[in-house]
Amino acid sequence: MSYFFQLVVSGIVVGSIYALAALGFVLIYKSSKVLNIAHGQIIAAGAFIAYALTGMAGIPIYLSFFLSMVITFFLAMSVERIFLRRLIGEPIISVIMVTIGLMSILDGLIFLTPFGSVNFSFPRFLPRTLISFGGVSISWTQLVGVIVTAVMIGGFSWFFKKSTVGISMRAVSDDQFASMSVGISVPRVFGLAWATAGLSAAAAGVIIGNITGLNFETLQAFGITVFPVVILGGLDSILGAVVAGIIMGIIQQFASGYLDGNWGLNGTAEVLPYIILLIILLFKPHGLFGIHEIERV
Amino acid sequence: MSTNRWLATGNYFTSYRDEQRIFFTHLDRTIFTFFLSLLFVWPLLFAVSNKYMLVIDNILIAIVAIIGLNIVTGFAGLISIGHAAFVGIGAYTVASFSRTLGDSHVIITHAWPLMIILSGLMGAIFGAIVGLPAMRLKHLYLAIATLSFQMIFSWTINFLEFFNQGQTIPVSRVFWFTGKLDRDEHYLFWYYVLLVVVVLSGFMVRNLLRTRYGRCLSAVRDNDRAADAMGMHPGLTKVYAFGLAGFFAGMAGALHAYVYRGAGFESFTLHHSITYLAMAIVGGLGTLNGSFWGPAAIITLELQVETLAEHAGQIFPSSWNLATALKPFSFGLVIVLFLMFEPRGIANWWRIVRSYTKLWPFRY
Repeated sequence: MSYFFQLVVSGIVVGSIYALAALGFVLIYKSSKVLNIAHGQIIAAGAFIAYALTGMAGIPIYLSFFLSMVITFFLAMSVERIFLRRLIGEPIISVIMVTIGLMSILDGLIFLTPFGSVNFSFPRFLPRTLISFGGVSISWTQLVGVIVTAVMIGGFSWFFKKSTVGISMRAVSDDQFASMSVGISVPRVFGLAWATAGLSAAAAGVIIGNITGLNFETLQAFGITVFPVVILGGLDSILGAVVAGIIMGIIQQFASGYLDGNWGLNGTAEVLPYIILLIILLFKPHGLFGIHEIERV
Repeated sequence: MSTNRWLATGNYFTSYRDEQRIFFTHLDRTIFTFFLSLLFVWPLLFAVSNKYMLVIDNILIAIVAIIGLNIVTGFAGLISIGHAAFVGIGAYTVASFSRTLGDSHVIITHAWPLMIILSGLMGAIFGAIVGLPAMRLKHLYLAIATLSFQMIFSWTINFLEFFNQGQTIPVSRVFWFTGKLDRDEHYLFWYYVLLVVVVLSGFMVRNLLRTRYGRCLSAVRDNDRAADAMGMHPGLTKVYAFGLAGFFAGMAGALHAYVYRGAGFESFTLHHSITYLAMAIVGGLGTLNGSFWGPAAIITLELQVETLAEHAGQIFPSSWNLATALKPFSFGLVIVLFLMFEPRGIANWWRIVRSYTKLWPFRY
């Protein structure tokens, strides 16, 4: 039974990271209806900037995490300004293609640095001991990661519900013309959505980097794994991203804990989310918490 | 059929029948036949090394795949981020025959045209299955569905013992009437086969677009509600677009397996899907001649970038991973630049040049 709970706990750890990664994705989708396929690359960029600041430039580690979020904030904002601002009003197909192109460009830029091929890891700044609780153990890094994620998601929900900028973002996602008529600058809101998504991506990257080490493949894979999560949760729901992230994390842990090694199966954790995704698309395409405003044909 | 379209000042069609012709004038047909025969004859006049023949074969394989991708993404307006997986289905159809019957079984070596068509059919079946969510969903969700199919395909190939866990499954060289193909003849032989397949597929698509089914595709792309009101079934049309795309992709996959004499996991990854999309965009989505320009442009670019990376690698320190970096970077840049400045692709340049020469020395 403790094996079961151990799987649940590590599922929650993985799932909360998914939730944080999905959050940035949802932020962009919610305001501008763009699927950002390059999200994994932004996550990786955030983590690598943090490592470059602390491991190479020697800035204290907490400050470097903070700085990396700030830098990624502006990086994502400029990405929106340079590439996506011109495409406002273009068909959705070209916008998605641009994010695909962006993914390749960022891939190329990251491969140019040592991070593309060499693995690094953040210096340890938390105790190495495991916290054990009734047969279930969790490392300090994981615990802090979950707590930071919870705080960030709480902060973002508050930001969306209460702050003026958050309300204007929701207004834009609801109706662009109506929000223009009450004086909201729609392009500015798009820029801000990308920027906040970049910020949350950097946070996700730093947390993943602390837990699994800095490997480009692993980090950018989160940008693809995030698709099943957001589809399960509903493309435009922050709460959905959290719940679905945790569900997906637990499912993955169960898959690798119970399925792998039996019946000749191996690596099921990688494929199960996508099978679930296809099933959800067939039967409940708006996900658990998404608005039911799906256009059927 | 009588007026020379290159000299006429406009289109003077007097019936719908005239407008739907493949060749509008005798001159059109003559020029087309001339260029086609040139394509068949030139390898006999110039000795081409195997290395370059392989590149040309590669371009032709990609053209077959892109004709398929253009049906689903260009004509029907559905993004497919899993086209390499459909190509992979075709290649692995041949590979699984080779796996169960042995790599030089008579079906593989003698009945290869049958294998190519069979692979196409397999691709069509899988395409239709992946397109099934299209019965209920629109583009965004469909793009994700194709992406997840790509991931599932990669996993299946990588983890199943039957598919050799992604390692190359060999396919033997085929037989022609003169006996088993020589090592030197291999690429040249497949050049001709590919040329025939490309010409046939080109005619197929050109004809498809003249029929009711082809016009259905673009009607659904432009406005699915209007198409619904006109009595078409948008969902079924999309499923069928995916099926057709899968058919061409499957054929391309089988040809890939034969040309490379094997199928391996690394030719059908997400990265290749993105490359196919890049080819379709650069060529021009929703145009038939774009399907020919795109692969040629991207594969040439790829070669140039490789040479450039080699040269640059000698100047810059080796810790700069130029060879792996430049490829995705240039792809991405090309996609983004084309989308921002020339969303209609190279096919549009062709159109501009054509109308310019047609009216020269006058301009409008």
